[in-house]
Amino acid sequence: MSRGGGRGNRRGGHRYDRGGDQRLREAKDEQRQLIDDSSEIIKTFKQFALQLDAKHDRHERIVKLSRDVTIESKRIIFLIHTINSSNDSKKEQILDQANTRLKQVETNLFQAIAKELVGEDPHQFLRAFSAGLQEYIEAKTFYQFMVSASIPHWNEIQKDLTFAQEATEEGAEASEIQTPVLPTEYMLGVGDLTGELMRRCINCVGMGELDACKQLCGFLRQVYRIFAGFDTFGYKEFGRKTYVMRQSLAKTENVCYTIQVRGSEVPKHLLAQAIHMSMDNPDEDEGFY
Amino acid sequence: MIMQNVHQNPAQDEVLKCCNSSRANFATCKTHYAQLAALVPVNQFYHFNDMWRFATQKLAFLVSLTFFLETGKLASFEEVAESLGLKPEREKGFHLDLEDYLTGLLQMASELARFATNSVTSGNYDRPIEISKFVSELNAGFRLLNLKNDSLRKKFDALKYDVKKIEEIVYDVSIRGLRPAAGNADQAGN
Repeated sequence: MSRGGGRGNRRGGHRYDRGGDQRLREAKDEQRQLIDDSSEIIKTFKQFALQLDAKHDRHERIVKLSRDVTIESKRIIFLIHTINSSNDSKKEQILDQANTRLKQVETNLFQAIAKELVGEDPHQFLRAFSAGLQEYIEAKTFYQFMVSASIPHWNEIQKDLTFAQEATEEGAEASEIQTPVLPTEYMLGVGDLTGELMRRCINCVGMGELDACKQLCGFLRQVYRIFAGFDTFGYKEFGRKTYVMRQSLAKTENVCYTIQVRGSEVPKHLLAQAIHMSMDNPDEDEGFY
Repeated sequence: MIMQNVHQNPAQDEVLKCCNSSRANFATCKTHYAQLAALVPVNQFYHFNDMWRFATQKLAFLVSLTFFLETGKLASFEEVAESLGLKPEREKGFHLDLEDYLTGLLQMASELARFATNSVTSGNYDRPIEISKFVSELNAGFRLLNLKNDSLRKKFDALKYDVKKIEEIVYDVSIRGLRPAAGNADQAGN
């Protein structure tokens, strides 16, 4: 029995039974050889089958890469959350580590995606890598914010996702390939970032860094102001993210309020508890005990 | 709409008249597609193509139907693209997407099932047999494709009901001895 050449070995820790797909395809390949070859229609459809297969395969490969991007980006975000600003050397260490891992994601995963997209319309495969791209942007902007209290423009992120390809022996010229960072994807990634910043704000209170809270709140407010101004026709995602962002912003503002009001009467390490209680039970009177 | 007229009067010359009117309309479509192509920036075809995808599928269906009624054959991908003024490959510009062409073919199969019924009603007994052969070949072709669970797959699943319906018509016609040249080898599909 001949195996559909070159399609073997679908390993990789995924939950779906890719082996099943392959077995089905092999069975179909055999079946194809038995069907009468001479009909014109059959011939053209065989061509169509090859075309469609190529497209579906490419889509699946990009999806796999994108999932890896998502997982690694989430882990980087968790890493950055462990930063405690009062300990500067640890902070630098963590940020360095985060940066290294981000670079790895870029060179390994995004370069592979860029290679898949060579010669194709990226919009055709956008849904395949959109989630990964947004998660990566969230991680990248979070990292940059921790370093410099600002976030990079999407053109800068695009530079990180553009890769030079050297001239090959087969005669292809040196060129650049990239995984496109569409402004809409960038914006959705930043929308997710606001959720992480809200989490960071609450952690900061727990660690006693009250100034950082105000800073985060101000930044969040700026981002929300811009999102609130979008006309979201045709892009439901934006509407949803804006809604979630508003809630994140409200939580952050409540935190700042609580710091302001209770900050002098309650010792810092108990302030976090006070805030948690006020958030979980908004209707109860603010009795501390 | 013009093509709906073929059901009313399926005599061959009437059918051909409808086909000619359709062809005139296809020419108008060409101009519209050209305008559309001018608006869409290069390399962003798929960014916007959901807006006209339904229209393209319908047109692919109509072109392939017209072609079949004129010639009894399957319109090739290139021919459909050309009738609508679209390029067959993305590299060459504003193009016809393969999946839209295939969806059009499936819509045509449904329409032909209906047409077979109406042909018998108006006394034309050999057209259903032609249609049956054609549609089962189409079915065989589609079976060769590996389809994902998208709308193309759903329409393909509906194809087998069309095949069944057409075969029932051929059966009805055959057992009643209405089939012309019944002495020939069985040509009606399986």
